[in-house]
Amino acid sequence: MDDAAAGAPTASMNKVSRRFARIDAFFRNLTGFAAFGVLAVLAGVIVSLYFGAQLSIDKFGLAFLWTDVWNPVKQEFGALSEIYGTLLTSALAMLLAIPVGIGIAIFLTELSPLIIKRPIGIAIELLAGIPSIIYGIWGLFVLAPFLQVNVQPWIIDTFADVPILSSLFAGPPFGVGYGTAGFILAMMVLPFIAAITRDVFDGVPSVLKEAAYGLGCTRWEVLWHVVLPYARVGVTGGIMLALGRALGETMAVTFVIGNNHRISSSLFAPGTTISAAIANEFTEATSDMYLSALIEIGLILFGITFIVLLIARYMLYRMELRTGR
Amino acid sequence: MTVSTSRYRRRLWVNRALMSLSVIAAVAGLTALGIILTILFQKGIGGIDARVFTEMTPPPGSDGGLLNPIYGSVFMTGVAVIVAMPLGILAGTYLAEYGRDARVAVIIRLINDVLLSAPSVVVGLFIYELMVRGRHFSAWAGAMALAIIAVPVIVRTTEDMLRLIPDPLREAATALGAPRWHVISKVAYQAARAGIVTGILLAIARISGETAPLLFTALNNQFWSTDPNAPMASLPAVIFQFAGSAYKNWQDLAWAGALIITAAVLVLNIVARLFRTAEPKR
Amino acid sequence: MSEAKISVQNLDFYYGRTKALKNISMDIAPNSVTAFMGPSGCGKSTLLRVLNRIYELYPNQRATGKVFLDGRDILIGGTDLNLLRAKVGMVFQKPTPFPMTIFENIAFGIRLYESLSPSALRDRVTMALERAALWGEVKDKLNASGLSLSGGQQQRLCIARTIATNPEVILLDEPCSALDPISTARIEELIEELRSDYTIAIVTHNLQQAARVSQKTAFMFLGELIEYGDTEQVFENPRQERTKDYVTGRFG
Repeated sequence: MDDAAAGAPTASMNKVSRRFARIDAFFRNLTGFAAFGVLAVLAGVIVSLYFGAQLSIDKFGLAFLWTDVWNPVKQEFGALSEIYGTLLTSALAMLLAIPVGIGIAIFLTELSPLIIKRPIGIAIELLAGIPSIIYGIWGLFVLAPFLQVNVQPWIIDTFADVPILSSLFAGPPFGVGYGTAGFILAMMVLPFIAAITRDVFDGVPSVLKEAAYGLGCTRWEVLWHVVLPYARVGVTGGIMLALGRALGETMAVTFVIGNNHRISSSLFAPGTTISAAIANEFTEATSDMYLSALIEIGLILFGITFIVLLIARYMLYRMELRTGR
Repeated sequence: MTVSTSRYRRRLWVNRALMSLSVIAAVAGLTALGIILTILFQKGIGGIDARVFTEMTPPPGSDGGLLNPIYGSVFMTGVAVIVAMPLGILAGTYLAEYGRDARVAVIIRLINDVLLSAPSVVVGLFIYELMVRGRHFSAWAGAMALAIIAVPVIVRTTEDMLRLIPDPLREAATALGAPRWHVISKVAYQAARAGIVTGILLAIARISGETAPLLFTALNNQFWSTDPNAPMASLPAVIFQFAGSAYKNWQDLAWAGALIITAAVLVLNIVARLFRTAEPKR
Repeated sequence: MSEAKISVQNLDFYYGRTKALKNISMDIAPNSVTAFMGPSGCGKSTLLRVLNRIYELYPNQRATGKVFLDGRDILIGGTDLNLLRAKVGMVFQKPTPFPMTIFENIAFGIRLYESLSPSALRDRVTMALERAALWGEVKDKLNASGLSLSGGQQQRLCIARTIATNPEVILLDEPCSALDPISTARIEELIEELRSDYTIAIVTHNLQQAARVSQKTAFMFLGELIEYGDTEQVFENPRQERTKDYVTGRFG
């Protein structure tokens, strides 16, 4: 078949066009190859962690997930205390950061004077980019000593005789522990939640809000009946994204968690999380089994965050579809 | 009428109470974040002098600086960006120009978004298994870990920026007889340049503060080393080691290092922001 | 028939499952202006986009039938699309200057298939700008960004860019719809001048414009070619009832 469709192009044009077609195919394959690199990274992480963890998986099986033991000397390992710490600190962080973050978003979208709206918005976005180790050393040197001296003793005394709270706030005031780690995590994800929530609120069509105001609704009623229902999916997605970060966060937590592989119901007790255990112990892990157990908890962490992030992205996509962005 | 007035009063009261709560939350949150930055500045600025940039990390109790970790951070971040930039831009190009709404592109986009916020400590473990185990800690491994964290950032921004370019521009170039790669490289990249640079700057900002993945890839190094096959110091790793120590001079250096990193990250973010707003609107 | 530059035969076009063109057959004469008019969504732009196969950029768009250009079917597989488009230029509804200098905008297409010396290239760029009646306005700022021009100038830049590559056919897809009346008049003059050297097909919303610039006019409605003939006849003495309604402004 003649490849010259258009009349009689010169021979040189034909040659150039054939070269173009070759480069085209090459470039397309190159970009496709790079895109598959993204999938390869995912596959690589899963496969390599699985092989790295195989010793531990073979020995402890599924019970690894709910066994509360971490004994490098006896080579006995179970992930329960790390999983517990990870979930507990993240839950605390969310409990603190969600209301405050949404409060900031409400303030920025509905209440703040225009002059400070932009600067504060930008400041929050910049804060969201600060490396987590900064939050970590701040927690270690400033927050933990402060809590240890000024806050924890008071709380422990106050609730000593209250049934449930006394066990929640029990023990000597270490300064470091689940509570402090949760607090630092909250600080870290706060700008993130505030920024995303503000974006979602800003995406609510103003005609909807105006219509509600036109009916005589107060600001709160507009927020509660119009903005929040509309923004629910997006805000939830943003919160899940923040949760994914909190679960996997290492450096903000490691300094202030206390590094104790023992489960305690007290928020003031030192504990550990998956990422903190890995960061603290990995280079000191002397035996293959120890190393393998650490890698297995890393694999578990990846599994947990992967699911959370997948849900988060799905919800954000749905939000984008809705706002047509 | 009296009934509806009291009802109205209650609505106003609820409104005022909840709005006040939101202001309190905003003030508290912003204050807390402000305190972090203030203390970081106070503690860090005292430790910053010429020696920080000219001397090596000291043993406990004696004086020194952060020259070797600064070099290490710059080196590994640099290598990571050189590796991640072409991969990220090409993958982003695939998603925006070729894949678009095809199912495979949707899946890759989703995976990329997940990797964007995957725990960096896990990336460190991956590179440990891949490049360190059975061999030794090295700056190459550290740089690779950082590259893997940078790639999703660059993919995402590249795709977003290319998608902002209107299709008629591509059609116009195609209608002149330009092949696809030419349209992309000469017209689309040109139009999206500022945005793509923004993405790269954001990626640099992101990885220059990453600590966890370096701890078991590049490890750390108390001495001056430029050998990429050997362990290398980095600012975050040194901050981690020094802050956790009991020595006053190490702790001071940790604060100085923290301030340097924060300043660098903030500057990168601000420059990236300026770049994006400087982009001519079409 | 044998003297037709472009001959469309039994052309159907689909956006996914939606049929946008229904069994179109027509001949387009060389060195003349053929206007396509009809209400929005009638398929006139779609038809134009088949003539250089620009629709191929998007998956799910598909044309069946035959379109002969100089006697060769351009819809068959194996057709070199880059060469086809080098021969069939296109100007779009909104001006599409590339984000580069005015000079580079014009040189972009020339450089694709020709390697000229710098001076020869400069001559070609100058010539194209002169033909597009833009030279006087930009000769002192060839290194300014193409985006810095006004809308009308941008559109003439795009026309200059198209004729710089020496195409044989020029497709104009509502080229004046985003322009003010003065710029529109300039472009219409330009079309008149270019007619002797090129085969021009223009899609337009504007009935007067179709009447002013074209020798042949096609009226399309809901994907069908309702009437096609000499412009004068179509406007003065339409054969079809729907054409008559349209040109007399009863709908559209």
